[in-house]
Amino acid sequence: MDFTHLFVELVLMPLIAFLVGLVMVLMLRKVRAKIERRIGPPLLQPLYDIVKLYSKKTQVSHGPMHEIAMMVALGGVIAMEVFLPVPGLNGLAEKGDLIVLIYLMMIPSLGLALGVGACANPNGSIGISRALTAMVAYDIPLMIVVAGVALFHGTTSLPEIIAAQQAGGMSTWGIVQTPVLALGGLIAAYAMLGKEPFEIYVAPAEIATGPMVEMSGKFMGTLFVMQCFQLYAVGVLYTTLFLGGGEYWISFLPKIFAVVFIPLAMTNVFPRYKTEDVLKWMWKWAGGFALAGLALVVMK
Amino acid sequence: MSTDPNQAVACRTVDAEERSLLGRVLDRIADHCRARSLFVLHYCTGCGAIELPPTMTSRFDLERVGMQPMVTPRQADILLITGYLSVKTLKRVVMTYEQMQGPKYVIGLGSCTINGGMYWNSYATIKLLDRYIPVDNYIAGCMPRPEAIQQVFLDLMGRIDRGEAQAWKDYYRRYDWYLGQQQQLFGTNWQAPTDVVGEAIRYRLVGEQTLGSHTAHLERYAPYYDQLGIIRPEPARMKARPQLEVVSR
Amino acid sequence: MNRELESLDAVFREMPDLKVEHTGPRRTRIQVEADALPTLLELLKGRAGYLHLSAISCVDWPDTEEFELVYHLWSYQVSNLISAHTRIPYDPGRYVSVYDLHAPAVYFERDIHEMFGVWFEGCPDQEPFILTEWQGPPPMRKSFDTVAYVNDTFEWREYQPEWANDPSGGKG
Repeated sequence: MDFTHLFVELVLMPLIAFLVGLVMVLMLRKVRAKIERRIGPPLLQPLYDIVKLYSKKTQVSHGPMHEIAMMVALGGVIAMEVFLPVPGLNGLAEKGDLIVLIYLMMIPSLGLALGVGACANPNGSIGISRALTAMVAYDIPLMIVVAGVALFHGTTSLPEIIAAQQAGGMSTWGIVQTPVLALGGLIAAYAMLGKEPFEIYVAPAEIATGPMVEMSGKFMGTLFVMQCFQLYAVGVLYTTLFLGGGEYWISFLPKIFAVVFIPLAMTNVFPRYKTEDVLKWMWKWAGGFALAGLALVVMK
Repeated sequence: MSTDPNQAVACRTVDAEERSLLGRVLDRIADHCRARSLFVLHYCTGCGAIELPPTMTSRFDLERVGMQPMVTPRQADILLITGYLSVKTLKRVVMTYEQMQGPKYVIGLGSCTINGGMYWNSYATIKLLDRYIPVDNYIAGCMPRPEAIQQVFLDLMGRIDRGEAQAWKDYYRRYDWYLGQQQQLFGTNWQAPTDVVGEAIRYRLVGEQTLGSHTAHLERYAPYYDQLGIIRPEPARMKARPQLEVVSR
Repeated sequence: MNRELESLDAVFREMPDLKVEHTGPRRTRIQVEADALPTLLELLKGRAGYLHLSAISCVDWPDTEEFELVYHLWSYQVSNLISAHTRIPYDPGRYVSVYDLHAPAVYFERDIHEMFGVWFEGCPDQEPFILTEWQGPPPMRKSFDTVAYVNDTFEWREYQPEWANDPSGGKG
């Protein structure tokens, strides 16, 4: 692979991720509106929000760490996208593997923690400590699931996992071969989206959107962009591990939208768990399914 | 921007807001997006708050026009004052307003914010909200129906789209006057935690009345105010919002 | 049930000067002299189970130049509300705090001090509570002319008919 080709892929992959993520944010809000029997926002609403936030005329910045940390967080999610193989574009997925990806997924939360710490807002500090707690809650089941998938396929390389799943059509998909593992992974992916009932660190009525409490203008815009990337990343990661990845965009896009749609359709009827309950619930159920799936993989 | 050709001949003073063609196109796009993505912060101490749930939820659905409730002043664009304000809550409103980031808009909901409403003879409530913070729109009524609230939101959206809703700049340009009005209620030592004059300098919104006798006591906290001599105050050119004439009794 | 009612009678036997009136099935009104009120509250709390001081209210009587303080006490045992009325003169306008008997009294006394200017001896905190920006006289005395104060302090906006045509209030 020559350098120009790689460069084009590195530009194209985050761009596609952003555009698909915008549609996912729109879907998120439309689904919520339809469940509440509202009409919901217009088609370009996510774009309007981001442009508006970046074009605010005054900004409040809480020091250099605030700004650097937001860039760290955004850089983390963008770096995550180039390790996620999509149809036709492998990016760096052949050079890095699942382990690198899992490491990169933690960078946004850590970057956010640094930035929120500079804001010195108590709601923000509570929010970020809850966000890191939530990360502990879903990362342990996720790591077990990833370990199970890697054991099952005998590799941690994402393109090889996709190739193994696509070898025999739908019957070799991870969700058919390792259904228990896939269930644990779906719950962990749900928690990664940070929607109710796992919305402990946003909690608008309680801690005033937690980490976002001091974010205005371009910082909030950065968070909106990050949300697009994160929705997309969750969809693609789950599709890659369990739904056979994608050979063509026409079959790949419905899969990633379906993965994101399942949590979004459920989330609107839930209130919010307490922080310690999220930890207990995730370790008990998501962790339980993941461990059972891992045991099944090992016994096979 | 002046369109008078005579003025453009010799040493024309450069208008701080004058933009190139590209700048104006970008401004137009930004205004278009601003009008369609308004985050609302509700200040719900008054009874008007009861009209907002129907406005927000499935009956009237404000999200159709891109409005969302937001919970912190940092993220919000509109400060919606829903009803009467006592002197004590006005202080919080002023602090909240100053924490919002411009462009920011204030909507006074109900008769209480216009002229005291049914609390006109109370010693504890303020009567004219626009003496303390600049108000973009008022909604008369006690209470205004959700239809009226929507009407005003659409009107405000239209004015933002046309670039006319600039009342927030008035707070910087005439800060001395607003601070004086606030000091009448809160005592002459009142000062907000936000450095409004510093922001006015930073964003080049210093007007002729930004500094004055009322802001004098702020200067001991901010030694850089004496740099103001460098910055030329803008000529009085309030085309966006004609000065509000308050009829004194 | 009889036992509790007897204990209330025991309170009344110890303080024979009370004017007791049963105004309703669960309401008892007691008129008490100012110097006897703390004793009454203590007896009610200790012997009759009136543990909950739900409010202290104040009434201004300019004709007799007196404040009437009303202590509302609730008993969870017999579900009865006692309102103990007492009167103190304008001058000097001082009374004793019941904070040592009922801790929540501090808020009611602070409020009354703010609104009527009554000074409560022994109340731990009588700083401004709601009217933190207030510099005038206690505003809920009947001698305070609210309308005159409002007319002096605030300005008004006169109605302009064209506002009705313009949803932006005539200045958009």
